[in-house]
Amino acid sequence: MVFGRKRTAAPPAIKREICKKYQERTTGMNNDPIESRIFTVSEITGRIKEILESNPALNNIWIKGEIYNLTYHSSGHVYFSLKDDKALISAVFFRYAASKLKFRLEAGMSVFVFGNITLFEKRGSYQVNVLQVKLEGIGELQKRIEQLKANLHKEGVFDPSRKKPLPFLPGRIGVVTSPTGAAFRDIVKVAMRRYPHMEIVLAPAKVQGDDASDTIARGIEELNRPEYGIDVIIAGRGGGSFEDLLPFSEEAVVRAFSRSAVPIVSAVGHQIDHPLSDDAADAAAPTPSAAAELVIPEKKELLDELDYLIIRINNRLQWTLSSLKQRLGNVTEKRIMRDPFELLRNSEMLLTDFENRMVSRLKEIISDKRRDLMEVPHLGRMMSNLLSRKRNEYSGILKLLDKLSPLNIMKRGYSVARDRKMKLIKSIDDIETGEELILQLYRGSLNCTVHSKEEGEIIGKEKNSEKETGF
Amino acid sequence: MKKKQDFESSLGELEKIAEKLESGELGLEDSIAEFEKGIRYAKFCHDRLEEAEKKISILQKSRNGEVKKKEVRFDPETGEVEDDDLQGSLL
Repeated sequence: MVFGRKRTAAPPAIKREICKKYQERTTGMNNDPIESRIFTVSEITGRIKEILESNPALNNIWIKGEIYNLTYHSSGHVYFSLKDDKALISAVFFRYAASKLKFRLEAGMSVFVFGNITLFEKRGSYQVNVLQVKLEGIGELQKRIEQLKANLHKEGVFDPSRKKPLPFLPGRIGVVTSPTGAAFRDIVKVAMRRYPHMEIVLAPAKVQGDDASDTIARGIEELNRPEYGIDVIIAGRGGGSFEDLLPFSEEAVVRAFSRSAVPIVSAVGHQIDHPLSDDAADAAAPTPSAAAELVIPEKKELLDELDYLIIRINNRLQWTLSSLKQRLGNVTEKRIMRDPFELLRNSEMLLTDFENRMVSRLKEIISDKRRDLMEVPHLGRMMSNLLSRKRNEYSGILKLLDKLSPLNIMKRGYSVARDRKMKLIKSIDDIETGEELILQLYRGSLNCTVHSKEEGEIIGKEKNSEKETGF
Repeated sequence: MKKKQDFESSLGELEKIAEKLESGELGLEDSIAEFEKGIRYAKFCHDRLEEAEKKISILQKSRNGEVKKKEVRFDPETGEVEDDDLQGSLL
């Protein structure tokens, strides 16, 4: 049953799949109400809102237009539209942003509006969420700043490679700002809180007005003189209107920032547009207090870090020492360290033991040898046997020798002739005529004189010697 | 410029010494030598932290155009400079 249902259920599913694929291919759309997604109105609106509001091209943008249908609401929010000759866009200026505007908007005003495009879901409409409004006159200034920025950028004034690192712990801080402004008070407060011993040198400057930029540039230049020994400069002012911050976007100031050999921090209070000094400085902070925090380390943190390191190395050394002490203790605990004579006594005992063993071994060897010696009689008998055998052999050899003796030969009638010097005469050349010779016989010898010599052939040694002796 | 470099590098050296000691690779003599070196660095850093003066001065231009430092009194709580007779700029 189960199998059967499965089998019969399969084909329609496949068919549907094929149908869908076919539809997709032919219409480019997924029309199947089960497989495709159906949005509710709020779902699709949510999706549009997400796409619209996350698009960077529609965020933090400037829009130029004329104010139309302006309403200052009792809640403090300001509603209006912006239009030009071809289009219109709604704008909402919420109280938190609108309250910062230093002038009142009027219908027909030509303005620059800064903000983000947002979607109002209830009405399905989109609008600009306005964060700042500038008059078109200011728009011109803005344009000039953009041009200056482009030129300086081309010159390499904002090159990241030109940026110097800030000192880790500055000894003396230079500040360029108004001596009476909140900026300096804030910097001093932060400095005293973080590092009470910090020395601060202020180069007073005007931070708004026509000659502000010259005084700021002059202050930066002055603090760069080596005799002041300044390690880092903070130059800036508290927040203000676009016009208030203008000096920090002016060429003289931007160039002074980039020329500063001493690391310099731009500290101009701002929310939206940052001044060009931020780009030229080695570091930038959104407020003077933030700049002070960036530049001045917290003394307590440094001390804590130092103490922590000292404790670390101290602990470690203590640990090393105590572990070595422990090892030393382990060694001295041993008996040999407590009683060094122990070693000597041991050696003495060993020595005695060796001595005893050596003596007894010697005794053993001696008694072994003695036993061997006791068996010598047996050896004597062996010796006498050998001797009688040798004696027999000797007498045999003697008999043989006797047979070979010339005496035996002479017994058979041979004789030996010698000259007076008893030298054997073997040839007639060994003796001259008239000389005497001795002829030795088997019994006795004859003294003879040579009367004459007769040549003869050599017939073997015996025969020759017989002839030589000649009669 | 040099002094603060020394503070940072001394702190760095101290850190290195702590790591070296903690590695447990050093014998007693080396450990003591490193420890002494570390204490010297730590003392240098401590001295350096106490060295700077608690002082605020404001540059003032005299009649002949020379710029001089003038030390001013101030309230460390509010950061307010307690001196009314100040020039607003060096120009």
